[in-house]
Amino acid sequence: MKRHVLPGFSLTMGLTLLYLVLIVLLPLSALILKAASLEAADYWRIVSSQRAVATYRVTLTAAAWATLFNAVFGLTLAWVLVRYSFPGKRLLDAVVDLPFALPTAVAGVALTALFAQTGWYGRLLAPLGISVAYTPVGIAVAMAFTSAPFVVRTIQPVLEDLRPEVEEAAQSLGASDLQVFARVIFPLIFPAFLAGCALAFARSLGEFGAIVFIAGNLPFRTEITALLAYIRLDEFDYPAAAAVASVMLGAAFVMLLVTNSIQFWVQRHSERA
Amino acid sequence: MSITVRSLTKTFGTFTALDGVSLEVEKGELMALLGPSGSGKTTLLRLIAGLEFADAGTILFDGTDTTHLSARERRVGFVFQHYALFRHMTVADNVAFGLSVLPRGRRPDKAAIAARVKELLELVQLGHLAGRYPAQLSGGQRQRVALARALAIEPAVLLLDEPFGALDAQVRKELRRWLRDLHDEIHMTSVFVTHDQEEAMEVADRVVVMNHGRIEQVGTPVEIHDAPASPFVYEFLGHANKLDCRIDGREVAAGGWSAPLARVAPAAADTPAPAGASAAAVAYVRAHELELLPESRAPEAAALAVVRHLTARGGQVRVELSRRPDGAVLEAEVSRAEADALRLTPGTPVAIRPRALRLFAA
Repeated sequence: MKRHVLPGFSLTMGLTLLYLVLIVLLPLSALILKAASLEAADYWRIVSSQRAVATYRVTLTAAAWATLFNAVFGLTLAWVLVRYSFPGKRLLDAVVDLPFALPTAVAGVALTALFAQTGWYGRLLAPLGISVAYTPVGIAVAMAFTSAPFVVRTIQPVLEDLRPEVEEAAQSLGASDLQVFARVIFPLIFPAFLAGCALAFARSLGEFGAIVFIAGNLPFRTEITALLAYIRLDEFDYPAAAAVASVMLGAAFVMLLVTNSIQFWVQRHSERA
Repeated sequence: MSITVRSLTKTFGTFTALDGVSLEVEKGELMALLGPSGSGKTTLLRLIAGLEFADAGTILFDGTDTTHLSARERRVGFVFQHYALFRHMTVADNVAFGLSVLPRGRRPDKAAIAARVKELLELVQLGHLAGRYPAQLSGGQRQRVALARALAIEPAVLLLDEPFGALDAQVRKELRRWLRDLHDEIHMTSVFVTHDQEEAMEVADRVVVMNHGRIEQVGTPVEIHDAPASPFVYEFLGHANKLDCRIDGREVAAGGWSAPLARVAPAAADTPAPAGASAAAVAYVRAHELELLPESRAPEAAALAVVRHLTARGGQVRVELSRRPDGAVLEAEVSRAEADALRLTPGTPVAIRPRALRLFAA
């Protein structure tokens, strides 16, 4: 038996495994078992019904837009927080976590109030013919709000860690600011950037609380997958709820696999030089 | 290309990093900026590179004012202590970087860049590692890649910031000999920063000794070694003993020893203190200029000491002495033959007498 210098290995490892089994593995298995209680044909009918497919489309599209927005906004915000010093920087840094701290239902209610026809933003947008509340745009806005911190918080430490010499080297070799960013900084923060985007996207796919208030929840138009699972549950149709939920679970696993592969590929040579 | 620096001043907050420094680096010269940390040597290098901007003063390259040009406009090759390689690029891509960011009109085509990269990697003897990533190289190899990358843009001057500072002793020694050879081959005006006096003396054509944001001395390694210009240079170069002494007319005395000025410090003898006056002074005696004599044959005007420790160094023996009776620690260097003749072992009493010294006002 190998001797460990640090004590407590068996205790901590045991607790960790117990936790994983109780909180993560068991519910997931129950979900899969529930869905598996359906005949294959029934399962397929439920997950490929027109209404279900419409929810996938709504959810994926809105999540894609929300992630795109957060990719740009999150990168900019992380850049500002790391690179410049200005009064109120610490406050701004703290505010970034607000969407994490705020109950999503509160966020949903607040966003609905803002974007309703009579709300502060809604009133300004209405004359332009843009309505956000009760449309897919509203869903994207709610997703963007609740997943905003992911990109910022994953890029920030990596950006802070970049040695200034690397940029100075690029500058002294004649690179313009844009070239320094595109060819030196961005490739180095890309794995973190990707991880942040993937997290934001995954969170958006699963977001429920903030969306149900602002979406209007019209089947085929503004109904998200999580809500459909909830409706089935409400109807005591557990297998159908589990079937819909298993699709979301599958999507989450695919996301994890894809982003991890990309990261592995990008970082294959990038141990710190 | 020559570099002229005129009264450069640079402060960081309340700290004065450079205090009116002027310097002339001649074309094709390899110059070392030597000093302890905080002496301003790196700041001076970064100002020359355009990575930092001076509060006052001017920098000229071949007589052309470059004080306000950015690093990318100055065409300097800069090598960093910690290499600063692009770790997401191969060695070849790292070296090609400077050429590939040129504006479209001036950028060589792919084949020309590849040929140039190959040529540079041959120059730094790393042709076989073109496809590797920085993380797969040793420290010495990384620094040579960094050098090849800096040379790729055909810089006007080459600036190196503690280029061997992060390497272990063996590689360090090899690489600095190699840098000297490379410089003899390409004859590019080069300035490097170091806090290692041995490194500066061994590699550079001329050495600039810096302290507290000012230049203490500029000269060839031999000039600096033979005639340190200030107490600071004596102490920084090491192997020198500081003696508090008194000057009485034409005599200098310290710790029981005395000698005529004309014999030990001819330069000071030319301007003796007024006859009869007695002045405190500081004398520096280098280790090899401290003569050891058997105690039994001690001349009248010698100080006494006890050997504390002996270290063999090639043909020389370093002797650490404790002066009697005050216990001041002194350092002497004698040949092996002398050490044997004196039968030096720890505890041996000896008489000591400076052969030459340099006086500074106390």
